Amino acid sequence: MEIKDLTNSSYEQTVSAKELVFSYTTNDGTDVTAVDHVSFSVKKGEYVAILGRNGSGKSTLAKMIDLLEFPDEGELNIFELNADEDEHFWTIRSHCGMVFQNPDNQIVGTTVEEDVAFGPENLSVPLPELARRVEKALGYVGLLEQADKQPSAMSGGQKQRLAIAGVLAMEPHLLILDESTSMLDPKARDEFLHLVSRMREDKGITVLHITHDMHEAYRADRVIVLEHGRIRVSGTPSEVFSQVELIRELGLELPKWAELLWELANRTNTPIEQSDFESEEKALEAMRRIVREKKSLATKTSKQENAKPSEQVVLRVNDLAYRYDKKAPDAISGISFDLRKGEIVAVIGHSGCGKTTLISHLNGILRPSEGTVEIWDQEAQAFITTNRNTDIKKIRKHVGLLFQYPEYQLFEETVEKDILFGPKKLGYDEEKCKRLMMESLPLVGLDESVLKRSPFELSGGQKRRVAFAGILAMAPDILILDEPAAGLDPVGQQEIFGYIETLRKQGKSIVLVSHDMDKAAQIADRVLVLKQGKQTFFGTPRKLFSSQSDYLSMRLDAPVLMHTMLALKKDFPYADALAFDVKDAADSLLFGKEGEVTPS
Amino acid sequence: MMKDISIGRYVNGNSVLHKLDPRVKVLLFILYMVTIFLANRPVAMLATFAVVLFLALLSRISFIEILKSIRPIIFIMAFIFVINVFTIRSGEELWSWGFLKITTGGLEQAVMLACRLLLLIMATSILLSLTTTPLKFADALESLGKPLKLIKVPVNEMAMTISIALRFIPTLVEETDKIMKAQSSRGAEYDTGNLFQRVKGYVTVLVPLFVSAFKRAEELATAMEARCYRGGVGKTKLHPLKMKGSDYLWGSILTVTAILPLVVDFFWKLK
Repeated sequence: MEIKDLTNSSYEQTVSAKELVFSYTTNDGTDVTAVDHVSFSVKKGEYVAILGRNGSGKSTLAKMIDLLEFPDEGELNIFELNADEDEHFWTIRSHCGMVFQNPDNQIVGTTVEEDVAFGPENLSVPLPELARRVEKALGYVGLLEQADKQPSAMSGGQKQRLAIAGVLAMEPHLLILDESTSMLDPKARDEFLHLVSRMREDKGITVLHITHDMHEAYRADRVIVLEHGRIRVSGTPSEVFSQVELIRELGLELPKWAELLWELANRTNTPIEQSDFESEEKALEAMRRIVREKKSLATKTSKQENAKPSEQVVLRVNDLAYRYDKKAPDAISGISFDLRKGEIVAVIGHSGCGKTTLISHLNGILRPSEGTVEIWDQEAQAFITTNRNTDIKKIRKHVGLLFQYPEYQLFEETVEKDILFGPKKLGYDEEKCKRLMMESLPLVGLDESVLKRSPFELSGGQKRRVAFAGILAMAPDILILDEPAAGLDPVGQQEIFGYIETLRKQGKSIVLVSHDMDKAAQIADRVLVLKQGKQTFFGTPRKLFSSQSDYLSMRLDAPVLMHTMLALKKDFPYADALAFDVKDAADSLLFGKEGEVTPS
Repeated sequence: MMKDISIGRYVNGNSVLHKLDPRVKVLLFILYMVTIFLANRPVAMLATFAVVLFLALLSRISFIEILKSIRPIIFIMAFIFVINVFTIRSGEELWSWGFLKITTGGLEQAVMLACRLLLLIMATSILLSLTTTPLKFADALESLGKPLKLIKVPVNEMAMTISIALRFIPTLVEETDKIMKAQSSRGAEYDTGNLFQRVKGYVTVLVPLFVSAFKRAEELATAMEARCYRGGVGKTKLHPLKMKGSDYLWGSILTVTAILPLVVDFFWKLK
């Protein structure tokens, strides 16, 4: 193993790729060109974001740079060293650090410090230096106190910081983040991104960041968008995101403030410049200009009101508390709420606030230590509680529960058998099971063609739908969905939320656990806030965000759109800061009466 | 719930035995095993008992904790005792009923065997499972196994495998719990029905668990490669095992105590 020290090397290009091609053959014999004649370069110290739908070749590209995959064609230079030559192999790899998506699957060590030591140990770093590096790296990411703890007991955010420490201890020049934040909650995500910025400042590390989050992409110096293995567009964030139609065609989203700018410009037929997309401040300026000058020209959108939920309560939770162990402290306590027919209640709170424990009660997987969970039984015209063993089967008929990342619940040889598993267990006859299955498929955008395939050969997004269909086929009237869109790309997320809207229109009642405050505020009729196992709020999203002191004291982040609207409200006091939908927000800016002031 | 599961039965502590080099403990364990098997007269057995009690005191772990490790084998111990009591026939007859007979020789043999098993379990748990973390144990095996490298046994890789397995046990336990909850939501049952139905129920857990474990393995392998893993070649260690003065001292003391029962037995016989 020959490693050249790059500390004093005067290279300027960290990555320089020319016409890279990478193809592979899938199990069923089709050739896939994952990366198709891609050329790009990254300068030393630059921060480049790579965007694109799932399967667009982003990860393959990243792996090629860390020499984990090798191009079939093309020329690749990393740190101005030819990646094709064996003598440079270890120099390149040891100076690249990579943080992957799933925190659990990149931790090797049994203790935190052992894990950080893994990289430098492989590089044969001798002892006093090795210990010094481990300590420094742990100190840098703020995990020094956990040095001898087991990583499995840590939170997702801590695990990703540990992964960063493991990379830092190898003293890398290039940091590759492969969707490293996609499994984190907003707070942990912020901490992680902050850490990355600090590393750039302190150490001048070059960053290549693969992401689905457009707010993250805006932190980059440059953005590259891939589609089917080819670069479709690249440039500074404003150069890329000002091409709104192209961005949407490529299956990406805009940051909320850019979306609002686009909406306002469109409604008033105002041309906007690329410079308006440079930052949120610039966009706010443009929006102020548009609203002031062009108000009269605006066209109003026909507003779609959410159907009012009926008064029929279908789920009732009374003063619920749960302890995993008699002596253990309460995992959750003091939780009381109800869910009406056709209503969406969003459950929000940071990781570890007891969301999973709470939803596990709603179909009787866990039984309350105190309090009750009651489900409305339409046939009997009465509530049944989850406390009685004999009623559990009935409850499972009424309540369908889809856990986070439900792909792992697939186990049958074919999609058909897997979807039929649930209805069969409910004791329905063959014919009814089949009918329920066929009804559930279109609800999640699937058709018969998948039925005979093995669930394990489907793409991630398709697996998610099959798992969803498996719950819908049980024909529940209450759905409990835990982060149903987590880890999907923007289009996949929009599709899932589309299905949820349709289900609501069909009269299903839904409890939705979500990290995405914008989505929760927009879609939910009422919101339940959990903080450290306790209920701190239950009511409409408008009420929750109408008092800043309230949601700040609950340590909640306001929806991103609301930040923008609050900034605009200073100039247009009549604007409704509590419009959680971009269209509504634009309406309130363009059609709100001058004299009318909405409370905020 | 299942999250609190610990690997092995390590009890945190700061005793002489906790601090002792794990390699010394593994070697001592082998020595104690030999003594326990060689002690085949009551005097030797009593002396061995005393020595194991001495170990227990040194470990500063409560007797209740140590006795807990015997619980799983009580049934086997009772079974062996009963078989021996009734099948070995030597010495005087003490009791008989039909074809069942208990003799002094049989009783002595049965008691000795039960004691041997009891001591063996106690020594194992005091020296190894209760005072040594699984990681240190793996380290000790790696270090003691070094000579095997000469005959091409991949000692480092085996130690890495053990250590990764240890690392992933809690993760997989948690995952099993999650999958079981998800499948129960779909109506799967694990504790009702006949044996066949129960086994069938577990298929709904095992298949996803294996699928996910393979995926994890693949991703972990990539992550390890990205961090320049290339087998044991040239790998340094953050906490290399190092013999200190106290390890030599206690190693010697405990070696002497291990042989003591056999010496006592020898002189007892001479008398």
